[in-house]
Amino acid sequence: MTRLGLLGVALCVWPAGPVPTDLIGTASASGKTIADAVIWLDAPGSGRVAPRTEAVLDQRDLQFFPHVLAVQVGTAVKFPNHDRVFHNVFSFHDRKKFDLGLYPVGVVRQVPFDRAGLSRVFCNIHPQMAAYVIVVDTPYFAVSDSAGNFRIKGVPIGTYPYHAWRPGGSILNAMVEVHPAARLDVRWP
Amino acid sequence: MRTAVAALLACAIAELPASAQSLITEVTFSAGRSTEDVNAGSTQIRLFGPVAKSDWRVYLEGTWGDTSSAASDAFGAAYPYDGRVRPMELYLERTAHRGGAILGVRAGRYRLPFGISARSDHAYTGFTRAPLVRYGTNWALSNTFLETGVEILAGSPAVQVAASVGIPQDEGAYRRPRGLDTVVRAQVFSGPLIVGASHVRTQPSEVGKFVHGRMTFSGVDARWMAAGVQLRGEWIFGRPFDGVWTRGGYLDGIVHVERMGPVTGVLRFERLDYFAGEHSDFYRRVTIGARIRTWRAFDVQLSLIRQPRGPEGSRPTAFDAGLTYTARF
Repeated sequence: MTRLGLLGVALCVWPAGPVPTDLIGTASASGKTIADAVIWLDAPGSGRVAPRTEAVLDQRDLQFFPHVLAVQVGTAVKFPNHDRVFHNVFSFHDRKKFDLGLYPVGVVRQVPFDRAGLSRVFCNIHPQMAAYVIVVDTPYFAVSDSAGNFRIKGVPIGTYPYHAWRPGGSILNAMVEVHPAARLDVRWP
Repeated sequence: MRTAVAALLACAIAELPASAQSLITEVTFSAGRSTEDVNAGSTQIRLFGPVAKSDWRVYLEGTWGDTSSAASDAFGAAYPYDGRVRPMELYLERTAHRGGAILGVRAGRYRLPFGISARSDHAYTGFTRAPLVRYGTNWALSNTFLETGVEILAGSPAVQVAASVGIPQDEGAYRRPRGLDTVVRAQVFSGPLIVGASHVRTQPSEVGKFVHGRMTFSGVDARWMAAGVQLRGEWIFGRPFDGVWTRGGYLDGIVHVERMGPVTGVLRFERLDYFAGEHSDFYRRVTIGARIRTWRAFDVQLSLIRQPRGPEGSRPTAFDAGLTYTARF
């Protein structure tokens, strides 16, 4: 089914109930649970829900933390340097392009992510540092933890198209029915 | 003192299992060839990250490197290449942020905190050789000078002062004798500009009947970066021992803009003047090169060096090519 088709289905079934619930589930690939999978629900009309205005992609111990950061469109992501060495954060490909320049310990620089999509983030001084920022146009999203579990909070009951992405993997698209006992298990082959 | 450092780190390691998932093990393999008839290879292993659930960080690094000729400084950017397994930096550190203030402490064995001194900063942006002012053989500050002691950092993101007190514990061919060292560094950060000043008072690395007094150097360094173009430079001056003096520095241009893709271009102009009567030396060197991020964790580094007046054993023109692979676990 095309994404346009999924959008049409979503428009037909939205909204189905006033009481929100949490959608829990597990992400797995090749039969093993995986961390850092991002799962989000299409929710047209929910743009009125204000995004969390700030998120943090920390630089500590010569790595970015978290490795995968999911945010809603309109979120400003802070990039603090907590290492005693300089970092030079940049993203030249994909959705958002920026180069924050050199900055020392204690300094925080910020980037607004105003379009949906994926950005790969690197440090030009430390080639081993890499992270992903995935920007979604919905307030209903989550990232799987180290056990592969995720929880999308406060979802109105109904049926939604959902999408799932993981580093190095394809995007999965399908439908999910959200109700208090619902569970979503996302599986990559 | 070496025993005390080992004990300190042993205590840190003993705490590691509680935070094992947060610790990073990094292994780097490098190989290179220069037209100065040098083949070189090295490997480093590093363990770093938080200690247990505290705010303390540990950094442990060991290295092995070897070269087919010690006459050239090719690939001697950050480690000794003498065919021996050696410990390098071994320290614990903590950096606290309160309001707009920063207070940090580092204890153990660390690179001499003078000027642009971080390994990743000065050595792996695309240059295959350290600056001329970073070799002990050039009567300057060696890039393998290591201090065992305590360093305190205080200030704010905009203004920082660091002071280190310790004893020399160098690796490589040039080793300073024991004695109390002091290093002070101040740094100011504003927008695209970072300016620093450093001073070190330590022991001379040369030995001989003609060597008296202390080694003292002062230096200024600056970095400016905008739109993917970085200009940086360092100028040092002082005496490696009484009766002689050294001055020198370098100016780097480092370019990494979007249309260059995985390539970072580098350009360096440098000079070093050693004033010692009939033994004086005056070196000049220009380097143009690149670092290319290739498949996965492989980096290629290429440098073309023109040195009409270079250190003994160098050729007027040289070309270095290096390949580095780094894996993290």
